[in-house]
Amino acid sequence: EPVLSKGNNCLDAAKACNLNDTCKRFRSAYITPCTSSTSNEICNKRKCHKALRLFFDKVPPKHSYGMLFCSCRDIACTERRRQTIVPVCSYEDREKPNCLNLQESCKKNYICRSRLADFFTNCQPESRSVSSCLKENYADCLLAYSGLIGTVMTPNYIDSNSLSVAPWCDCSNSGNDIDECMKFLNFFQDNICLKNAIQAFGNGTDVNVW
Amino acid sequence: KGRRNQKGKNRGCVLTEIHLNVTDLDLGYETKEELIFRYCSGSCDAAETTYDKILKNLTRKKKLVPDKVRQACCRPTAFDDDLSFLDDNLVYHILKKHSAKRCGCV
Repeated sequence: EPVLSKGNNCLDAAKACNLNDTCKRFRSAYITPCTSSTSNEICNKRKCHKALRLFFDKVPPKHSYGMLFCSCRDIACTERRRQTIVPVCSYEDREKPNCLNLQESCKKNYICRSRLADFFTNCQPESRSVSSCLKENYADCLLAYSGLIGTVMTPNYIDSNSLSVAPWCDCSNSGNDIDECMKFLNFFQDNICLKNAIQAFGNGTDVNVW
Repeated sequence: KGRRNQKGKNRGCVLTEIHLNVTDLDLGYETKEELIFRYCSGSCDAAETTYDKILKNLTRKKKLVPDKVRQACCRPTAFDDDLSFLDDNLVYHILKKHSAKRCGCV
């Protein structure tokens, strides 16, 4: 039995994308470089990242978020959602760097630096607020999160059972910086503001923001 | 060229679209994704150029064997953007030159 047998929200979002000329065009424009292997690499990661940034820049959130933040009840759906950014090219790498080292590489790049700063600002959790976000604005948090896709800090869903996300890094070999590293990684993996924002979009419950 | 078709003699040749499942294309893919397929259809009977008129005349006068010369056909003159989709085994595919964007009698 194939993995994707029944209908689901992520499939519906993909259908809707291909019926929209803009979404269809920019989707193919990143699927092409992200799935074309070069002589010695699985793909040209730089071109894949660039096309992914263009997709999230140019396609209306209704369609781009529809595929990235669709709500799921089964593994067929979550697997499709995980494949949205073509992780084998845009996300995974031979080695997993330490997150603080990855953060350093991000800071050397203008786009990555500013988008990471946006993410930390707009997805800051705050347990005492109704939304669980300090900024009380899910749209800004989702915009900042999706803005990281196509940078070295590209995040993705880490498993099929939750909305936990992380960039391609871990905190092994952190030495004395282990606490700082865990704090950085947990801002992705265990962020109630981001999770609520994704959930609200997927369920269509945050209507006033859209 | 498309504009001339609407105003000119070959207004019969037009772009038409149909909403399909990717599997309807019978290209061997297993997926639940869908697409808009656009195709060219309609008549190109009215001779568009002097060339076509000459061919018709020569054929009528039996100076040319009818089968050897073709009259204008309603065909795509440009193709739609590429289409990508994820199949049931989580593999991406891209279709190129699969759908018409403009039509003409060529």
